Amino acid sequence: MISVRNLTKRYAGHTAVDDISFEVDRGEIVGFLGPNGAGKSTTMRILTCFLSATRGTASVGGFDVFKDSIEVRKRIGYMPENVPLYDDMRVKEYLHFRAQLKGLRGRSARHATGEAMDTCSLQEVRRKMIGTLSKGYRQRVGLADALVNKPDLLILDEPTNGLDPNQIRQVRELIKRLGERHTILISTHILSEVEMTATRVIIIDKGQIKASDTPQNLIRRLHSSGTVHLEVKAAPGQVIEKIESLADVKTAIHISSAQDWASIDIHPCSNVDIREQLFALSREQNWPLRELYRDTASLEDAFVNITGS
Amino acid sequence: MRQFFILLRKELRSFFLSPLAYVIIALFTFLNGWLFSSIVTAMRLRVNQHSLVYNLFDSGWFWMGYFFLFPLLTMRLFAEEKKMGTLETLFTAPVRSAQVVMAKYFATAILYIVIMLPIFAFFFLFQDITGELAAFQSGSFYGAAAILMLVGLFNIAIGCFASSLTSNQLIAAMITFVGVVLHYFLGFIHFFGAKLPTELLDKVTYFSTVEHRRLFTEGLVDTRPIVYYLSSAIVMLFLTHQILERRRWKA
Ligand SMILES: Nc1ncnc2c1ncn2[C@@H]1O[C@H](COP(=O)(O)OP(=O)(O)OP(=O)(O)O)[C@@H](O)[C@H]1O
Ligand SMILES: [Mg+2]
Repeated sequence: MISVRNLTKRYAGHTAVDDISFEVDRGEIVGFLGPNGAGKSTTMRILTCFLSATRGTASVGGFDVFKDSIEVRKRIGYMPENVPLYDDMRVKEYLHFRAQLKGLRGRSARHATGEAMDTCSLQEVRRKMIGTLSKGYRQRVGLADALVNKPDLLILDEPTNGLDPNQIRQVRELIKRLGERHTILISTHILSEVEMTATRVIIIDKGQIKASDTPQNLIRRLHSSGTVHLEVKAAPGQVIEKIESLADVKTAIHISSAQDWASIDIHPCSNVDIREQLFALSREQNWPLRELYRDTASLEDAFVNITGS
Repeated sequence: MRQFFILLRKELRSFFLSPLAYVIIALFTFLNGWLFSSIVTAMRLRVNQHSLVYNLFDSGWFWMGYFFLFPLLTMRLFAEEKKMGTLETLFTAPVRSAQVVMAKYFATAILYIVIMLPIFAFFFLFQDITGELAAFQSGSFYGAAAILMLVGLFNIAIGCFASSLTSNQLIAAMITFVGVVLHYFLGFIHFFGAKLPTELLDKVTYFSTVEHRRLFTEGLVDTRPIVYYLSSAIVMLFLTHQILERRRWKA
């Protein structure tokens, strides 16, 4: 669906995108991650034919963004960063205008407008002036605009930026649903979002691609330490002694005790999962157990690890 | 073409639903009405060899107000879209930049015509009420209307261009004002530089609005000014198009 080769974008003396190449296949939901100023929006603007590249090529659905820009634009629904909209138009009127502009006619334009408003839960504000809408509704209008003509590819630049947690959840659900029908390229700072919705993550930093993989693989690559936390009701000294006698355990450290509960960190020898052994041990010793969990690396760890200086 | 009409309708709609359009129409009509009545009064007091139409458009006051019209009409065209960021949604939709430029241009031209109509209504009212002729021959009417249309089309194109240069409406307005006024005063070079060689002066009359207006309001319609204003407008619109496309040029 998207094919980017050796793409470079230079602004007066400053390289925003530096020789990046990547592919996005039909049906994928790709999360575009990177710190501020990494070049995410710039890449998206090139893909949507708004900006030219300094070097390299990009194509969408087999059409070159530079040579066949109209064909490319017909196939893309784009929601820019900060969701620019005409404040003096009403929601329905705006979406209808956009549907027409994207080539839908008469009845099908009206139908598409209604459908987009349904999808983005905009029906109750359809007569409202866009300038009076709350941020969350503006965001949804932007999203409705992007998908009104059912494009093959959705390019969404920080669609949940500035929303409250409830709305973030709603928009995320929406994106997930959209992913069933569209290919999506989405940029965001909210990692849990990508972790939940994306089938693949591209991490970009200082204009260069640092990683491109599934969220799970990125996390796995981090080699989580496998540290396990345990809380049992028993004397700490005895517990540590018993645990350290297990073959797979390197060290066990007593962290704290509250009332009779001892809280202990256990580091295994290699990256093995020792939770089952620990559970068996506490049952055998008749220790009341109230907590047992293994540290997992998150996408956030992967992100910090890859882009941190 | 379909895209052009969709965009044109949207532009017209945002014009006529904004208070600015009505403020401009009201103000301009009021000023011209006032000017009109003072000229009628002046002509009653002192016999004048020219017609009312000629005298109105010969008045510096008319042109003063006229110059302010174009910055007001055109400043927001592209500058506002740039500032709001809507240029990005606009140009990532499958529309050609030329369609956008033409839609904005013609929408402004339509608004311009609406603003100019009351002046001509004044003349007809005058003729109706007094039974006197506002112009000595009907050609004067058409000539005046034609020259106003031509100069207007050219000035709107200047405004379009200025608005595409910046995201600041005030700066766009100032560039338009300077452009419009400078062009108008080119025609006055006669007065300032009487020592200029005559071939040059002849050239100057080719783009002297003052000269064209004299001829046209006498009913003497000439094709050269028509070609001049229309082609200049096209050049300005082409430049506007280039400015908008610049961001997509290969560096
Ligand atoms: N019009 C411009 N002129 C000059 N430099 C620019 C321009 N637009 C962006 N840049 C620079 O290009 C770099 C990349 O910007 P870009 O907006 O693509 O980052 P981003 O990854 O989207 O960041 P964010 O997460 O903050 O949105 C930044 O250093 C930015 O300052
Ligand atoms: Mg950005």
